[in-house]
Amino acid sequence: MPSLSQFLLAVLQAVLFLAAAPLLSGFMRVIRAKMHTRHGPGVLQDYRDIIKLMKRQDLRPPASGFVFRLVPVILPATLMVIAMGIPVVGRTAPVTAFSDLITVIYLFALVRFFFSLSGLDSGSSFAGIGASRELTLGVLVEPVMLLSLMVAALLAGSTDLGAIGTAVGTLQMSSLAATVMAGVAFAFAVYVELGKLPYDMAEAEQELQEGPLTEYSGPSLAMIKVSLALKQLLVVAWFIAVFLPFGKATSMAPLALAGSFLLFVLEMVAIFVVVGIVENSVARTRFRLTPRHSWLGVGIASLAFVFYLAGL
Amino acid sequence: MTTPLELLALSVALSGVAALAGLLLARNETLAIWSAGLGGLLAGIAGVAAGLLALGTEPSVFNVAGPYPFAHFVLRLDPLAGLMVAVISFVSAVSSVFSLAYVREYAGRGVGAMGFFLNLFVGSMMLVVVADNGFWFLVFFEMMSLASYFVVIFDQDEEAVSAGFVYFLVAHAGSVAIMAAFYLMANVAGSFDFAAFRAAHPSPLIASIVFLLGLGGFGAKAGMIPLHVWLPRAHPAAPSHASALMSGVMIKIGVFGIVKVGIDLLGGGVLWWGVLVLALGAVSSVLGVIYALAEHDIKKLLAYHSVENIGIILLGVGTGMIGLATEQPLVAVLGLMAGLYHLVNHAVFKGLLFLGAGSVIFRMHTKDMEEMGGLARTMPWTSLCFLIGALAISAIPPLNGFVSEWFTYQALFAAALDGTFLAKLATPIAATMLALTGALAVMCFVKAYGVIFSGAPRSEHARHAREVPAPMVIGMVILAIACVGLGLAAPVIAPVIGGIAAATLHAPVAVLADGALVLPGAGARTVLSTPLLALMLVALAALPIVLMAVFTGARRGGRRTAAPWACGYLPDGHMAVSAGSFAQPIRMFFRPLYAVRKDVAVVSTAISHRFAALVAQTRRSEPMFDRTLVTPVIEAVTGIGRRTQVLQNGDFRIYCLYIVAALVALLLVTLR
Repeated sequence: MPSLSQFLLAVLQAVLFLAAAPLLSGFMRVIRAKMHTRHGPGVLQDYRDIIKLMKRQDLRPPASGFVFRLVPVILPATLMVIAMGIPVVGRTAPVTAFSDLITVIYLFALVRFFFSLSGLDSGSSFAGIGASRELTLGVLVEPVMLLSLMVAALLAGSTDLGAIGTAVGTLQMSSLAATVMAGVAFAFAVYVELGKLPYDMAEAEQELQEGPLTEYSGPSLAMIKVSLALKQLLVVAWFIAVFLPFGKATSMAPLALAGSFLLFVLEMVAIFVVVGIVENSVARTRFRLTPRHSWLGVGIASLAFVFYLAGL
Repeated sequence: MTTPLELLALSVALSGVAALAGLLLARNETLAIWSAGLGGLLAGIAGVAAGLLALGTEPSVFNVAGPYPFAHFVLRLDPLAGLMVAVISFVSAVSSVFSLAYVREYAGRGVGAMGFFLNLFVGSMMLVVVADNGFWFLVFFEMMSLASYFVVIFDQDEEAVSAGFVYFLVAHAGSVAIMAAFYLMANVAGSFDFAAFRAAHPSPLIASIVFLLGLGGFGAKAGMIPLHVWLPRAHPAAPSHASALMSGVMIKIGVFGIVKVGIDLLGGGVLWWGVLVLALGAVSSVLGVIYALAEHDIKKLLAYHSVENIGIILLGVGTGMIGLATEQPLVAVLGLMAGLYHLVNHAVFKGLLFLGAGSVIFRMHTKDMEEMGGLARTMPWTSLCFLIGALAISAIPPLNGFVSEWFTYQALFAAALDGTFLAKLATPIAATMLALTGALAVMCFVKAYGVIFSGAPRSEHARHAREVPAPMVIGMVILAIACVGLGLAAPVIAPVIGGIAAATLHAPVAVLADGALVLPGAGARTVLSTPLLALMLVALAALPIVLMAVFTGARRGGRRTAAPWACGYLPDGHMAVSAGSFAQPIRMFFRPLYAVRKDVAVVSTAISHRFAALVAQTRRSEPMFDRTLVTPVIEAVTGIGRRTQVLQNGDFRIYCLYIVAALVALLLVTLR
């Protein structure tokens, strides 16, 4: 069981992630504006949007049920629990009881379950199609995610994210090729999970009126928007924790912690700049052709597995 | 202090009494429903007590010499059987409560007979798992199959009868395979007692044949692909509380049988047995859920999910057998424990889901999900319970399905970490299949819940639905609480089931819990804590609630609802997503796998054709039978009658003559 200080650190980490989520979505908007060579809003624009939405009416369709009302609470809560189980500054997660890779994958499934169910529960057809697509993407991506992490876990000898990160960070993985391939496959899966172009199937703005979000308004919409940004932060933090865990603090010395945190932020920024560039330079994939892309992911992950078996 | 075996006897006796009461009181239907239901409940409570008492103790054995030397009546209540007894009794107790109100739906169609067959079914299942002699095992196994066959054909319509026939054939083909396996073993062991089977050492070839026969026979009962054809037809045909028993419990007897033959009787064996079970498990889980997704009949959907979950249980059992064959006791215990844990969990959440489906059908009078919709507002308890069941079966943390799947992954991981090359190759693939299954199950249950309980009502029945009667709600609530409890109490339950697995495998007990944590064996570097997870989920939910509350003051009142966006048109019920359209992407992406189903379904249609042919043959042969046997007898009897009529010509003087003649004749006889 975690000690009290670990526990407080975990809660602090979760709240910080939540607080930083609108900053991320603001940052992505800035990058988009830059790519479009226009003056966009400032980085803090999404905070203003959230506060504005919080003051608006909360309307819901007459056909919606209790799930629809619960989801704006369940999503942030679940994502914050995930945030407690991801190693950020140290080698291990603040709460190791949440940092098993299977636990994390299934907690994301919890998010997916309720996010898409809220779409069906609204009774809107756009939201329903968005929900169907969201879950289909999950079906296509989850095996890739599991197989790539499984290969990394087998190389590290444990399914704990901290343990895998430690093995990668201290260069103790017996097979470099398998690790790199697993990392590539996982990066692909993470990118799909981000829900950005070319894979923003569920919330495709032009086609689906933002999918499961269609019927949300006011504070509920604010909470879900924050949650979606938080999810993007978390999947990238997850990738960094497993495959780029370098410069982690090994002691509780303030300087080491600060250095590790700074490095983490820099990695985040770098990854999201790349994501922004990709997102703004491609068109949306045709939905019915996505399996071709996901098969590529499966292929890379399988290759990693073969490399692991061959001991390369 | 009563012993577990006495309690078990009490439970079986109560089942028998309840069965007879159902039959004897058939005239008075209310009385029949209550006697069968309450009898089943009491039998269930006694059975749960018996099973739980047997979990931690040494096996207790009851032995009477049978009528024939090969049929010693031996009952053996070991921890594994205790677990099965507890699971069977628990689900049957809950479904008995549910039946008190639900069976009224069948009033006037022989509810007494239904009570008779269901209680007989439960009683024979209890005896199957404790029977320790091949002969009696088969007798009770047959009783179980037959009792459930009569429940399946209860509706008496064409669909139910043909489904029942497919079930009947597959079940008996399975029995024959099991019988053959037992004969082979008895040949080696010299007795039909399982104790002798355990002591026997068949040659590897014989052992493999016995295992394959057992796997085929019990796999058919379990609904493992490709022997699953009967399951999605028979389970939906039965009344819902019976489907809960069949899907929740009876198919587990198949898994129990595989464990019994593979691990208990044959004592492990070669590596490929485990890999074969693992492969069948992986195929069953993926295909089961993919076929479930395409269904819009709620009970068929659930029945295909039973195929899926049997697959997941077999993944655990297969890993256990791999561990046993490669002499890795920790892997063996972890794998079998994960399988047994999922067995318990599936009994609970599938029972819950079938009872939920039964409640919905009770009000909707249809099994088609497309006719439902919007029931969450009119049936709040049913919808909440169904949601909990859906979350549990989709392995959503922190509920019970997640815990057992977590252990399954950990077992697969442990087997992949250091094993032979075959194990290293097979187990990560199985884990990937499990991940695919998990994602598809989430999709399927979002669809099921969403189409039944969400959105606008799609039919007149759905608009006027109301909550089901109290006994049905109580039954569902008990199982929903069990789903949550089996998840949150994992640190208590995992070691108990681990102990059962270790006792079955004769392996050292593995460390599976530490305080509020569960972990896969001592020295494992990963842990999980479902109580903490639940606590944090609830605690952190406070933050968004507070955030939204803070701004309440700044918000203006006014409208609370607004029609959904429909591009400016008036929203219409037909615009909402249907069960078919929701799963359409999966049907498109996995088209080749659906083609496989058509191929497999050929077996089922072939059986149906045979059935039709058989009926036609019977119709033809019935008159022939009449002609050759019945008619001659009738003709002979009437002919003799006609001839004797000569005596009776109506003249009373002749009759007097008869009397005098008779008197003279008697006089002569007595005087002599």
